[in-house]
Amino acid sequence: MTVWRRSATRARRPASPPDPALDPQNPFALILKNSRGAAILHALNPAARRAGLRRGQTQADARAMIPQLICKPADPEADARALTALAVWAERWSPSVSLDPAGEGLEGLFLDVTGAAHLFGGEKALLAQIRDRLAEAGIPARTALASTPGAAWALARWGEAGGEGAIADEDTVRDRLAPLPVEALRIDAHTLAQARRFGLKRIGDLYPMPRAGLARRFRDGAGVGLVQRLDQALGFAGEALTPVRPPPKYRAWRTWMEPVEDIEGVAARLAELAADLSAPLVRDGQGAKALTLTGFRSDGGTTHLSVRMGRPGRDAAIWLRLFREAGLGRLELGFGLDALMLTADAVELMTPRQGALESEAEAKQAESLAALIDRLTARLGEDRVLTPEPVDSWIPERAERWRPALGRSPAAANGDAGRRPILLLDPPEPVEAIAELPDGAPARFTWRRLSRRVTRADGPERLSPEWWRPRPDDRQVRTRDYYRVEDDAGGRYWLFREGLYGREFSGAAEERAPSWWMHGVLP
Amino acid sequence: MTPARALSSDVYPERPAPLEEACAAEPRDMAALLLFALSRRIGDDRRPVLVTAPRVWFAEYGRPYGPGAAGVPLILAPTTTAAEALWTLEQALRSGAVALALGAVDGASLAQTRRLDFAAKQGEAVGLILPRRLDGLSAARRRWRISTFESATDPDDPRAPGPARLIAELVRGRGERPGAWMLEQDDETHRLRLADRLAGDGLAAIGHAGAPSGLAA
Repeated sequence: MTVWRRSATRARRPASPPDPALDPQNPFALILKNSRGAAILHALNPAARRAGLRRGQTQADARAMIPQLICKPADPEADARALTALAVWAERWSPSVSLDPAGEGLEGLFLDVTGAAHLFGGEKALLAQIRDRLAEAGIPARTALASTPGAAWALARWGEAGGEGAIADEDTVRDRLAPLPVEALRIDAHTLAQARRFGLKRIGDLYPMPRAGLARRFRDGAGVGLVQRLDQALGFAGEALTPVRPPPKYRAWRTWMEPVEDIEGVAARLAELAADLSAPLVRDGQGAKALTLTGFRSDGGTTHLSVRMGRPGRDAAIWLRLFREAGLGRLELGFGLDALMLTADAVELMTPRQGALESEAEAKQAESLAALIDRLTARLGEDRVLTPEPVDSWIPERAERWRPALGRSPAAANGDAGRRPILLLDPPEPVEAIAELPDGAPARFTWRRLSRRVTRADGPERLSPEWWRPRPDDRQVRTRDYYRVEDDAGGRYWLFREGLYGREFSGAAEERAPSWWMHGVLP
Repeated sequence: MTPARALSSDVYPERPAPLEEACAAEPRDMAALLLFALSRRIGDDRRPVLVTAPRVWFAEYGRPYGPGAAGVPLILAPTTTAAEALWTLEQALRSGAVALALGAVDGASLAQTRRLDFAAKQGEAVGLILPRRLDGLSAARRRWRISTFESATDPDDPRAPGPARLIAELVRGRGERPGAWMLEQDDETHRLRLADRLAGDGLAAIGHAGAPSGLAA
């Protein structure tokens, strides 16, 4: 069976706009260096095309033909970025927007609008709306809607003059494609040259040909590609498109005639969207763990805001609060938003709580903690709300790792409170220390420019390096001898000497002498 | 700064008020202050403790270390500004999800501290502001100044630092007399308890021994 999908395709001119100061009457071209270093015309404006120049010509040739040709270097990466941004913007019409893989001067977008056209008042109205919106945003475009991506591609680029919204359904697609040139089948130059040699100029010329014979007739298997493209255009073969962003399963979406220009308006509409989104989640027993709000600006841009939650939820009021704290007020509205989309990027099955296993109070407590962490994370950022995670390591700074608290529950570390600092300095700070014996406890030390006399000391507590771990840098990892010391002012500190006299330091000139470090403060 | 002259014979106000303030007498007393702050939880409240402060605070004093504060589930919220830290403190207190929220914040206004006081009552939590200095108006019920004191003697090894001790000076309390108490870290619970009670050798002796050396800080 064939997958029938209706796709609207837009072809558009190269995304790098010419300098606005330039008169469109002047021939203008973007230049790209090819693999041999020759400058090639990459994109042309209509005036240059009228003058007989074409894409792929060398700049030298073009200059010889049109001496007044204005040339600028092309920036394909910026073009690609702009096209991707436009694809996200086009998600207002379809959750599944793909970049046209054909590319190369014929860039376009595929919008899978299967079953969505009625939302915009029919296929004709949809195409008109797409064209109007793009024109408003200053992007010249051609549109077509057809039952297959291939047919839509062909009609948008090679359809009748202006390409004003050609629409072809399953019944008419054959007739609509017949008069188009074979180039419209998205075939490579090699196949195209052979087809021309056989006198196959129009797509209609291929219809009476037996498929197997046609595929065999071409050299290097090019015919197979041609037949496949033909089948894809007519809907006899499927075609997989990869959307720029994976289409979310849960999506709520609204558009307005008048753009929303203030944050209060956005907040009010977000409430409607949240209610829309939570209804199907409730139906499926799912809860959202991450939400993204996408605002579609009337100038062709999009603006995003995402929130994440530690536990799946579907309470619209909580979502609104999280969005407010994540900075709803800082959304860039431009000249206004004319559509808003709320998507659930990550969903999880909501399991009913087991009342028998945990007490009601504990469950409530855990819930309020998760809500607090969500709220703090939304406002401060994920890397600013942290909770310690114990790690199986005896190196003190490695024994505890601070991880985002989102989705975790903070647990008490078990440790030796009397013998470990309450405030850990990470990284340790160097100190100058004087010890009575080279491998004994320090008698005096200077830390942060203050000299302290040690009155009591306890140690050493010897911690060997974890030799199985790769060294962090070229620093040699050596044994640490930790001391708990108390100075004459009553302050208690955790010092260590890095390096052992004798075994790790023999006194040779190239060796680094053992050194003292301050690793933390004990209460 | 008025140095405590002697230890008070009044009852140590062990039960925390909804909102208190505590400062370190000197920067080096920060570890003692943190220990004191963590001990201001009510009884065996198992809810976590939130610590918030501008990032620079953590760079200056180090980060709270779980193994050294055993038994306390911690949440850390380093913020960019003091205003963010105040907001975090208020959210945490109001949520009822934490037992204790500590905020190293300077320059909180009277209105802001009133909000915190109210939020703490609402969430049945204890809020502790840790400013650099105890000046300005505040709705906090008690204001403490904490200084480290030389540790108790370790019965096993007299040359080693023993259980931590500190002086908690109540600078101002609503309806309470100011005073100073010496607190000692319990070996078992790692929480602070009144040192003199269990030491058993009376208030006067400790007050006499402590006053000249450590309290002038």
